[in-house]
Amino acid sequence: MISYKKRILKNGLTVVVNRDRLSKLSAVNLLYKVGARNEDPDRTGFAHLFEHLMFRGTRDVPVYDLPVQMASGEDNAFTNNDYTNFYLTLPVGNIETALWLESDRMQGLDITPEKLATEQRVVIEEFRQRYLNQPYGDQTMLLRELAYRVHPYRWSTIGRSPEHIEAATLADVEHFYRTHYRPSNAILSMSADLDEEAMLDLAERWFGDLRDTPAAPAPIPQEPAQHEPRIQIVEREVPATTISIAYHMGDRLSPDFCTGDLVSDMLSGGDSSRLYQHLVKQQRLFASVNAYISGDVDPGLFILTGQLLPDTREEEAIEAFHRELEVLKEQPATPYELEKVKNKFEANTLFGELNVMNKAMNLGYYAFLGDLELINREVAQYRSITPERIFDFSQRTFRTENSSTLIYRAKR
Amino acid sequence: MKAPLTTITPEISIADAERITLRNGLSLYILSAEEFEILRLSIVFRAGSASQRVPFSASATANLLAEGSERMSAQAISEALDYHGSYFDVNIDRDYAYINFAMLSKFVEPTLDVAAEILLHPTFPEEEVATYCAKRKQRLEIDRTKVDVRAREAFAEAMFGPAHPYGQRFDEAAYDALHRADIEEFYHRHYTADNGFAVCSGRVTEQERQIIIRLLEQLPVGSTPYRNTLPAPQQQHEVRLAHNGAVQSSIRIGRLLFGREHPDFLGMQVVAAALGGYFGSRLMQNLRERNGFTYGVISAMVNFAHAGYLAIATQVGTEVTEAALREIYAEIERLRTEPMAEEELQLVKNIMTGEMMRILDGPFGVADVTIENILCGHKNSIIAENVARIRAITPAEVQQLAARYLTREELITVVVG
Repeated sequence: MISYKKRILKNGLTVVVNRDRLSKLSAVNLLYKVGARNEDPDRTGFAHLFEHLMFRGTRDVPVYDLPVQMASGEDNAFTNNDYTNFYLTLPVGNIETALWLESDRMQGLDITPEKLATEQRVVIEEFRQRYLNQPYGDQTMLLRELAYRVHPYRWSTIGRSPEHIEAATLADVEHFYRTHYRPSNAILSMSADLDEEAMLDLAERWFGDLRDTPAAPAPIPQEPAQHEPRIQIVEREVPATTISIAYHMGDRLSPDFCTGDLVSDMLSGGDSSRLYQHLVKQQRLFASVNAYISGDVDPGLFILTGQLLPDTREEEAIEAFHRELEVLKEQPATPYELEKVKNKFEANTLFGELNVMNKAMNLGYYAFLGDLELINREVAQYRSITPERIFDFSQRTFRTENSSTLIYRAKR
Repeated sequence: MKAPLTTITPEISIADAERITLRNGLSLYILSAEEFEILRLSIVFRAGSASQRVPFSASATANLLAEGSERMSAQAISEALDYHGSYFDVNIDRDYAYINFAMLSKFVEPTLDVAAEILLHPTFPEEEVATYCAKRKQRLEIDRTKVDVRAREAFAEAMFGPAHPYGQRFDEAAYDALHRADIEEFYHRHYTADNGFAVCSGRVTEQERQIIIRLLEQLPVGSTPYRNTLPAPQQQHEVRLAHNGAVQSSIRIGRLLFGREHPDFLGMQVVAAALGGYFGSRLMQNLRERNGFTYGVISAMVNFAHAGYLAIATQVGTEVTEAALREIYAEIERLRTEPMAEEELQLVKNIMTGEMMRILDGPFGVADVTIENILCGHKNSIIAENVARIRAITPAEVQQLAARYLTREELITVVVG
């Protein structure tokens, strides 16, 4: 249970705060409602590149990290398909350093051609290190491209290719900054041992004078229903073949989201899960298996993936996955199994509320979803899921014509 | 707007754990934080890979503890843990094995019933051992297709020598020769009350305390641990390994120095932090910010029970490998020959204290730091002392340490890719 207070400033900035009475640290989180799904298909990877540029200094603060570190703070950021998130922790006495810096770089960014060029090189290195120079590095990229034809989820946040990152111009950067980095497109959240009203007033003090320049966000093309199965085979220099199957499912606020999440836990949450017990331990077809939901805001994917043991044939592995999904469509889950995955969700939620950074980050995320109260309602929501709903979800979701299968074959 | 004033970080102090000596001699350390509705129990045994006689037997023992006991099958164990949303994990390094159980307060009793099976009655069934070896072998093969894994292994070997327990690497094929009997023997010799200790954190009321004590008092006494003698390190100063199809090279540079007990360890931690311990460090500014050679570079002091070293690690484009090496040596040389500006040193100190505060945020962080202190023979008051010592260090001392310990001839360089 996380208590919080919320205020929307005159310029449209949403502020959410939580008091944590134990920590000597404060956490400050700033979420911008822009991610890879807002990118132009010919300029992919831009939201992530821009996240890097946010650390390149402003007119007043040439080196962002320096004052953070001088205040014994630490900062970082990440970009995903839906949003870009900046976060800091500092001793509670220094919380205003974070507010000053975030307010300053929301409008004062100073990007030169040289800074852009350096950051392009850094991001291209990241592309190589994490996606090209890594066994299985391009696997999720390929699966996205296979499962999505229209929606920008068809590319990863790193982008479709290093050439897109190379092609970014200073004009692109300025346009992106003006469009997306403004008070009414952002959410500020904090957690610290400070009075909640006092934190809201601090937000007012540091952000209240920023001007908003409203811009209508471009609509995001939504993925049409899939009507026939897709399959793709690639060969790579990897030691073992892996197979992934993706199914389209509902969006983040649909009832399918928690149901899909619980089903993925039934299949692969822990060593007692179905896939692990059946396919790894008993049938010995896979070295490892996983089932998970992509967790995106717009309608996402339910994904099964597994690494084959050397003697397993590909058809055999796919067949085994299908068999497990058929069981979900034919036999309702037992109350025991459901209770288990619900306990797990509750434990994860409690273990995730142990420090100020997680709390501030979660508050920002749920505010972004547009349902802040969900942060405290979600355990009950998961608790209320019935075997019938799991049955119904499985019937609607795990259909062959809704599937995309990627065979990532090891070259022999 | 004008920058707000920053305040100096307050004193960092953590309370000492309450220590209880159980009937079997095991020390149990309790860090009670009753605001939380969770509990974690950690048991640390001196059962790392440096203690093993048969390759991979130490890690196999730790990793197979939950794969079947006298009363429960592997499936029943994982089922019972998963049902309660409880976590069990093991970590193993060269010196120690760390066994952790984390649970909701409402499920302490059923979770620790399973913990008893895992900790006290594992049977290491033949079948599970076979599956484990096959999987591990495959994973190791995959890992060794990565330049950074190969560089890490080659670096340990270059620093300690192929015959030293801290430097040894074993072929994947050694998994084929690992037998159940080796694992069982390793377990009985090392997983005993007189070869470890336990730490619990989170909500520990009288009720939890009794349940935990009842469990731990069943650990047997009378360990007969293997104590491999540590030969003198045999070093190789320059190692270059080719890697098929690499677009990046993995670089490791460092020097064998000393462990945490040495009076200069803390000072060398400051040197390592200045060099590559934070985002704006000298190496990061040079390699990433100025040259765009890399996505990241780090340096740190690494502590083992009987050794310690400084290591720098990075991955760079293959076409800039030589340039990156030159820049790294130049940055080390600059630390040795020029005193650091007061302001930069102040920054490094503030970062290090901030880092400590972050590690200590939350009940599990406090437990982790307590474990590390116990392993080094310290009370938790060492944290405040160390912070005070770090604050007192001067630019001249940093330069002296770098000049003394980081001479070019002593550095070990490994490049894979």
